[in-house]
Amino acid sequence: MKSSILLRSVLFLAASPSPSQAVDPGALLIQDFENRVQQYVKLQKQMEATLPALKPTASAEKIAHHERELGERIRASRPGLEQGSIFTPEIAAELRRVIASAMQGSDAAQVTKSLQRAEPVRLKLRAGATYPHITPLQSMPPTLLMNLPQLPPEVDYRVVAKDLVLRDVKANLIVDFLSNAIP
Amino acid sequence: MSRGLFTLVLLLTRAAPAQTPDLKLPLKPNSVRFAVIGDSGTGERPQYEVAQQMAHYHELFPFDFVLMLGDNIYGSQLPADYTKKFEEPYKPLLDAGVKFYASLGNHDDPNQRFYKPFNMGGQRYYDFKKGDVRFFALDSNYMDPAQLTWLDTQLKRSDAAWNICFFHHPLYTHARFHGADVDLRAVIEPIFLKDGVNVVLAGHQHVYERMNPQKGIYYFVLGNAGELRFHDLRASPETVKGFDTDRAFMLVEISGDELYFQTVSRTGETVDAAALPRQTKRQQVSSQP
Repeated sequence: MKSSILLRSVLFLAASPSPSQAVDPGALLIQDFENRVQQYVKLQKQMEATLPALKPTASAEKIAHHERELGERIRASRPGLEQGSIFTPEIAAELRRVIASAMQGSDAAQVTKSLQRAEPVRLKLRAGATYPHITPLQSMPPTLLMNLPQLPPEVDYRVVAKDLVLRDVKANLIVDFLSNAIP
Repeated sequence: MSRGLFTLVLLLTRAAPAQTPDLKLPLKPNSVRFAVIGDSGTGERPQYEVAQQMAHYHELFPFDFVLMLGDNIYGSQLPADYTKKFEEPYKPLLDAGVKFYASLGNHDDPNQRFYKPFNMGGQRYYDFKKGDVRFFALDSNYMDPAQLTWLDTQLKRSDAAWNICFFHHPLYTHARFHGADVDLRAVIEPIFLKDGVNVVLAGHQHVYERMNPQKGIYYFVLGNAGELRFHDLRASPETVKGFDTDRAFMLVEISGDELYFQTVSRTGETVDAAALPRQTKRQQVSSQP
């Protein structure tokens, strides 16, 4: 993630006629997004540290309890978990541009087909809500993942209809979502 | 015979497991023996009947482990679901010491990776070696750059004669409902070819299908160990064998340069069986178009 931003910045700087214009707004927005994600992950780790560590266990009850309890503690510690807290309007616009770009190139047809064949799901999204287990997690086209900013392993991207969801992997929590992200 | 009685007899006949398993595998000394199931975790009667059939075959063909191709637990993922959709149907095998190695499907809670009987070690993707075979369990729901890099690195390090990848979404299939994941294929197949993958096992389509080797790699789809999508396969010259009228599981034996397999239906019929020779990397590359 950092290397791609660095590369974009370097390329921009190399093409820039003067230092006063040497700011890539897209790279700055991605940097802002990454910072917000890191802040969330920090909170998630703090909350998880208050729970017994989840290690591989034969008890499905322990796994379910950890997931549920972690989600509740995150919600309690961050009541302002709402749509747009990470996908701010500016970041949203940049990510929509990145996704549209990934779906307009030579890989467009295969990405579109992959999305259509991934057992598309429909779900009323709400930031801070648990992603319901009875709703499948639609697979992400790898080409999209290669174009989006890479995430730490604590969170992932998911597609729900045309929306892009940022999901807490361990708490199974919808952290934020970007409406109409998929063209 | 009344219509009701006739229907009852027909159902009982169809559901009854074969009395004597018809094993077609050679049982060579020191071979690697395992079973394969995909899209199994419904908790419904057909899953239990397949599991019962597996236990029958285990008596003749004592496989050490089972590969799970995803959708291990459908629907809710409460503790009771783990019992009903995994622990109870496979109890005879679990009691016999058979280990299960799971990969994640789109219906699975990714936190299944912490469920010890699935042997995922808390990881979405992982590898392990048995004899001269290395197995790579992948998370095809989320093939991010980190996983691609990991796979490339681990395959390059592999000193096994056979490299087998298993995951949920098929790269090739002629099932109508979902079709192949072409974007996944575009990014992962070059790694398979470059690094010498021999066999790919996938589920997601609720059928059984064995393809002609694609660019030298053997591809199987087995997504009907619990679910079934009746008559979902369309005819294709690329399909060596398709089965979409009942549930099934696979038995596999690898010895030296030969892979023997037998696909068995819920009722104990052999659906497909063959011996496949191990390919060399050169064969894989030369068969590319």
